Amino acid sequence: MPDKKNASYVQSLCMGEIEEEIIVPFPKMEDGEKETLGQVLASVRQLLSGREKEFREWDVKAEMPAPFIEELRQFGLFGLVIPEAHGGIGFGSTAYSRVLQEIAKFDGSVALTVGAHSSIGMRGLLLFGTDAQKARWLPRLTTGEMIAAFCLTEPGAGSDAAAVRTTARRDGNDWILNGEKIWITNGGMADFFTVFAKTPDAQTGGKASLTAFVVTRDMPGVSTGPHEDKMGIRASSTTTVRMEDVRVPGDHVLGGVGQGFKAAMRILNAGRTGLGGGSVGGMKKLISLSARQAVDRQQFGRPISEFGMIKEKVGLMVVETFAAESVVSLVAGLIDQGYEDYAVEAAISKVFATEALYRVSDEALQIAGGNGFMREYPYEKAVRDCRINRIFEGTNEILRLFIALSAMNDVGQQLKELASVVKSGVADPIKGFGVLSGYAKKRASLATGLVGDKRSFTRLSPSVKHAAVVVEEATRDVAIAADRILRKHGGKVVGKQFATHRLADILIDLFVLSAVLSRVNSIVEEKGAEGAAQELAILEIFSGRARRRMRSNINRIDDNDDELVKVVADHAFEKEGYSWDTL
Amino acid sequence: MPLKILVTAKRVEDPESKIKVKPDGTGIVTDGVNYKMNPFDEIAVEEALRLKEKHGGEVVVASIGADKSMTEIRAALAMGADRGILVKHDGPLDPFVVSAILDKLFEKEKPDLVLLGKQSIDDDQNQVGQYLAERRGLGQATFASKTESLESEAEQKKQPGVVLAADGKSLRVVREVDGGLVTVDVSLPAIVTCDLRLNKPRFASLPGIMKAKKKPVEEIVAASLGVDLAPKVAVKKLSEPPKRQGGLKVADVPELYAKLKGEAKVL
Ligand SMILES: Cc1cc2nc3c(=O)[nH]c(=O)nc-3n(C[C@H](O)[C@H](O)[C@H](O)COP(=O)(O)OP(=O)(O)OC[C@H]3O[C@@H](n4cnc5c(N)ncnc54)[C@H](O)[C@@H]3O)c2cc1C
Ligand SMILES: Cc1cc2nc3c(=O)[nH]c(=O)nc-3n(C[C@H](O)[C@H](O)[C@H](O)COP(=O)(O)OP(=O)(O)OC[C@H]3O[C@@H](n4cnc5c(N)ncnc54)[C@H](O)[C@@H]3O)c2cc1C
Repeated sequence: MPDKKNASYVQSLCMGEIEEEIIVPFPKMEDGEKETLGQVLASVRQLLSGREKEFREWDVKAEMPAPFIEELRQFGLFGLVIPEAHGGIGFGSTAYSRVLQEIAKFDGSVALTVGAHSSIGMRGLLLFGTDAQKARWLPRLTTGEMIAAFCLTEPGAGSDAAAVRTTARRDGNDWILNGEKIWITNGGMADFFTVFAKTPDAQTGGKASLTAFVVTRDMPGVSTGPHEDKMGIRASSTTTVRMEDVRVPGDHVLGGVGQGFKAAMRILNAGRTGLGGGSVGGMKKLISLSARQAVDRQQFGRPISEFGMIKEKVGLMVVETFAAESVVSLVAGLIDQGYEDYAVEAAISKVFATEALYRVSDEALQIAGGNGFMREYPYEKAVRDCRINRIFEGTNEILRLFIALSAMNDVGQQLKELASVVKSGVADPIKGFGVLSGYAKKRASLATGLVGDKRSFTRLSPSVKHAAVVVEEATRDVAIAADRILRKHGGKVVGKQFATHRLADILIDLFVLSAVLSRVNSIVEEKGAEGAAQELAILEIFSGRARRRMRSNINRIDDNDDELVKVVADHAFEKEGYSWDTL
Repeated sequence: MPLKILVTAKRVEDPESKIKVKPDGTGIVTDGVNYKMNPFDEIAVEEALRLKEKHGGEVVVASIGADKSMTEIRAALAMGADRGILVKHDGPLDPFVVSAILDKLFEKEKPDLVLLGKQSIDDDQNQVGQYLAERRGLGQATFASKTESLESEAEQKKQPGVVLAADGKSLRVVREVDGGLVTVDVSLPAIVTCDLRLNKPRFASLPGIMKAKKKPVEEIVAASLGVDLAPKVAVKKLSEPPKRQGGLKVADVPELYAKLKGEAKVL
């Protein structure tokens, strides 16, 4: 059994190892929860179907009417992830993500309102709250009497969350908070704010670090700004949250003084399958719209569904959706199985699903032709609504850095030990020998391509062999690549973003492909290869494309134009624009 | 006067699923088909809940079928019914047998009222309520509907469409018949089947779904009821409805006449 505390499938890939047991068999929901989920989904459909006109209207007006929020409360949508003991549904990540998928099929703003509350707004309380804190707020968060918001971003602290300037000053047992947060989802209607502020840290000699606080709307000095006028998810509330000399009692600290940065990251990690689920829902909806559109629309005397270029679009929309659904479900399944080190996998699922949705919505609009551009059709709203997904809850650039650098961490650790052993000479020959020979052996076996320990899948059905080999070969390549990148750049790798970007893209393809592989394998085991013909085709398409992308990225580690691109970019920065004309 | 109401919740194919007949005509392809509570039964459950909310009492929901029918019982419990009875039976059933089973449940539960859907949307037979009334020798009111529309204020207030008399001894039921409505009074205990325009069924809230998990459901094996379970109606073959032909445009009346006579052979 893999060690659930530390095992990470993706981190192992960089060491050239396939931790098969983590992902095979594909996670399956337990029957009881599945039944409850089925009922919840059926009810969600009843709640939201037939309301397209209203959603459209709220998008235009940029508001979500209070009576509708009240309906959501009555319906119980704010208690999805809260344990039954506190009156909630107690859904795990898989079921929760699936509910967001269903809501997102109807409207992005509604999904976000529910998601920001459960995924991040009150997640800190669930993860780090003391029993007393939970007993105090969870019952009201369950019913939606209190809606929650997550308040990290500030004008000077977006991607760089550590740059937060909101301050918390100790005053007796209390804290006094001052500062302004921007772009806070649910800001306009929330009563419960998880706020990150700078606190002087006694342990580090007064050096400031972040702390998470529960701030409630009824505290004097808390105010929120007007509803932002946005490109998409326009009905979702986004506002500033201001704190002026807000007195916060000491027992409102979440997860310990000075632990705020780690807390913020853990909250965002835990919430990622919500956004991933929402993205998958959006894609499924778009596929049904596009399929109908393509079959109904006649040009050149035939339905456009008969044309190859339209088939290509719809076919790939299905493949991308299947892949996104696989990776999001796999990550949610790992979380539900109790794996603790899932941050890289979760980041991959967010990046892949949000980008897949963006491509799918763009193609869906294209299939609809001129109608796609018209507001009376749902496509342009879909394109607008999904654009934010690549920006918030960690931009996809920041997440790519995170994916590549964390995955390389173990390799770096090994290299560092190797280096220090070599440098320290014979300080500890026995230990040194161990590290050296262990890593050298690994390297040697990678280079020779010998099939050894954890180099290949052992539990998969022969029908998926082809794709399994793609994963096995790419795993060897990625381990060699990670080693090469680290040897080339050493500690400076953090600043080498062209290289880390490439490595991240390889890891994204590799993990998503692994998820599809494991899922299709489980389907084959259940239905037989013949019954799983569609799924096997999807696997074949995805693995072929992923293989070609990974190959190209690996080739470009050494053979690239990075330096030239930098030169051209720096020129544009210097000139503040484009310098040419044909005149 | 509190009412004890027995209400049915049959598991049927979701009308939104694409239904295909098996090539050999022995049934439908069940792969990929979703199931749900018969929509007319949902209306019956809603009516039962409204009557209970107004007069007090108990709503007992029954389903007859394979283990999976538990899902439909849970769905009714999530809407607000108090307890369930699952009569387990694998294999084909017909209205005659179903009514015989319900007859046994009636004997056991002694409800004041049985509410059923007027028919189930899988086989559309429309017979169970009538058979049951006959078996028990009770009054029946089929196709219960109401005078107000589903957009009316009474409906917004979730008033029951079936009205209990002041003495609590009978029900006034507005029935939907060809070309209009008929109002009847039926003495209790009674059998009432529900039509489409009786009410808009509520949907279960998430707390309702959670509560339903803890509500009691009794499981009875159909064979233990002492009823002859052999269907009286044998389904010989299923076939798809004929494919609709596309329309076509004609230039003038003579051409239309020629086509109707020559090709369509309707004249
Ligand atoms: C509609 C909406 C809702 C939001 N909801 C919330 C919320 O509920 N709570 C909350 O706290 N925040 C929220 N945000 C804020 C959101 O999380 C931030 O916008 C996001 O983190 C990016 O920060 P930024 O906008 O300051 O962009 P910046 O950090 O300025 O980034 C600008 C660009 O530079 C890139 N970049 C930045 N740093 C690096 C780097 N080191 N290497 C490479 N590229 C880099 C980014 O990827 C991006 O492309 C919301 C934002 C929006 C628009
Ligand atoms: C804002 C706007 C301004 C416009 N202005 C003008 C204007 O000034 N004058 C004017 O005359 N028109 C104008 N148009 C119309 C525009 O040129 C058409 O929308 C465009 O030609 C596409 O036609 P369609 O919308 O009917 O899409 P369709 O032809 O129905 O196409 C739908 C999809 O099917 C694809 N497709 C169609 N046939 C095939 C095929 N054989 N093989 C493969 N794929 C195929 C298309 O590429 C598209 O992706 C305008 C449209 C818009 C939205």
